[in-house]
Amino acid sequence: MKKTIVAWVVLISALVIVAVELFPITVIIFNGFKRDIDIWSKNPFYFKPTLMSYKNIFSNQDFVRSLKSSMIVASLSTIVSVIFGAMASYGLVRFNFKVNTLIVFILLMLRMVPQMTLALPFYVLFRTFNMNDNVFGLSLAHISFNLPYVVALLLPFFASIPKEFEEAAKVDGCTSMGIFWRIFLPLASAGIVVATVFAFLLSWNEFIYGLVRTESRDKTAPVAVNAFLGQYAPLWGQLSAAGTIMLLPVFAITLGLQRYIIKGLSAGGIKG
Amino acid sequence: MRYSKNTVTKRRRGASPFFLFVAPALLIVGFILIYPIVYAVALSFTDRTLLYLGTTKFVGLANYSEMLRDRNFWHSLWLQLGFIAVALPIELVIGFFVAILFNREFPLSKLLKSLLMLPVFVLPVLSGLTWRLMLQPGYGVLASFFKVLSLGPPAWLADMTYAYIAVLLQDIWRMWPFMFMIIYAGLSSMPSEYIEAAHIDGANFFQRLYYVIVPYLSPVLATAFLLRLIDALRIFSEVYVMTYGGPSNATMLLSLYINKQAFEFGRISYASTIAVFLLVVSLALSYFAVKRGMRGEAT
Repeated sequence: MKKTIVAWVVLISALVIVAVELFPITVIIFNGFKRDIDIWSKNPFYFKPTLMSYKNIFSNQDFVRSLKSSMIVASLSTIVSVIFGAMASYGLVRFNFKVNTLIVFILLMLRMVPQMTLALPFYVLFRTFNMNDNVFGLSLAHISFNLPYVVALLLPFFASIPKEFEEAAKVDGCTSMGIFWRIFLPLASAGIVVATVFAFLLSWNEFIYGLVRTESRDKTAPVAVNAFLGQYAPLWGQLSAAGTIMLLPVFAITLGLQRYIIKGLSAGGIKG
Repeated sequence: MRYSKNTVTKRRRGASPFFLFVAPALLIVGFILIYPIVYAVALSFTDRTLLYLGTTKFVGLANYSEMLRDRNFWHSLWLQLGFIAVALPIELVIGFFVAILFNREFPLSKLLKSLLMLPVFVLPVLSGLTWRLMLQPGYGVLASFFKVLSLGPPAWLADMTYAYIAVLLQDIWRMWPFMFMIIYAGLSSMPSEYIEAAHIDGANFFQRLYYVIVPYLSPVLATAFLLRLIDALRIFSEVYVMTYGGPSNATMLLSLYINKQAFEFGRISYASTIAVFLLVVSLALSYFAVKRGMRGEAT
């Protein structure tokens, strides 16, 4: 008897907690389907669904363009970070040198560098090299947090993979690059997938580097979402619709990869 | 986690394949992390402005001594420390108790757990904007709610104290699930004998908490706290879109102040000085975090 009461209390409190946590997210989703005039009405719960805001944002060239830029920047920085991060992690885990510990230490420390500290030199340097106005400069900036992150995530992952297969391949005369690509990577594919997905998400959510080059035509999507605040009256409906679209990968990843979330988080994945 | 010691090779291997694997990453890191950091440090010793008119002069420690005399810098630093001192313990406590609540089997527990993680991954900008919307006087849903409770002024974000509280609430809402997840992982690896033994000895809930659970979890709690600390030091986006540092500097946290000095006042060298200060603090903390992690005390 006491047991069932406890079970009910636990379930109900858990439901309440989750409802409170999800409430702001539902506010955004619902407002994306409201007209601005209804958002400004006195009753926040008035809801008459419309696709107006979605139509507006997808006919807004600036926003569509920014989605494209964000996609390109996130993909580029993720691909480069995962390839070179995976290679470095493999080298650090499989070859035994005294400098390894030092390199690992430095890489792990560098993932904690505040973005604002890097945003200043990036701005000046990219201006010098005329890179403030294109996606490549921004991709480089994103690699600066994604590469150390990927290494931090993959090191423990790689260290847990047995090396019998590699040794067998070595006996058969395979080169070390061949061993890495053909033998090791397939074994480590789960880790690679997790690193790819989280690196993409970090880049997708990033705001600071996108912001400091706002004069650029290639805005990223988070900057474009913020731009819906406008100069005079905020376009909350379009802002919410755009925000909801930005959330789609977040939903897919959080719900799809829940097994790996702890690994992703403890590698230092959260960015302000 | 022993990264290097578990790979004792019988034959000495040449250095070449090692560098083949590691060198590209090191090159990239040198190019886009080390060099910009050195550049920022160098900027902090000059009088360079954003527009870069005329020549750049070496000014020695002038920017640093200005920083120490800058009341706005100290104001931002105190806001930052206050933010950390209030938000983090609350996040830790909520995360801890919710982890204990979830540390049992009940229907839907798996689904609810992953739903709880959503706020952590919501883009910081969107989180800040959502709170801004919810707090709009007249039509924001939270503003209406606080009005019914007659809690605070009608426009929270226009009030110096309440804007700061709003920034704290936003962060607590978003980040306690991070603490929850790490503590939950630590808790579920705890051998059940510990609790059973305490039960047999007749310990009540609070005694079990104090004598068994907290001591067992303390390394996990320390790691979670340290990670969040480094993260909270560099908070920017959420606050930038929520309040832009205002009203009248009431939420001007360090990164916002750096951004303002650099891109509003154009004083990139002075902004770099504060940025270097922030960097040194962050790296000092991350030194401890990494050391703990490499000793295997991380989650």
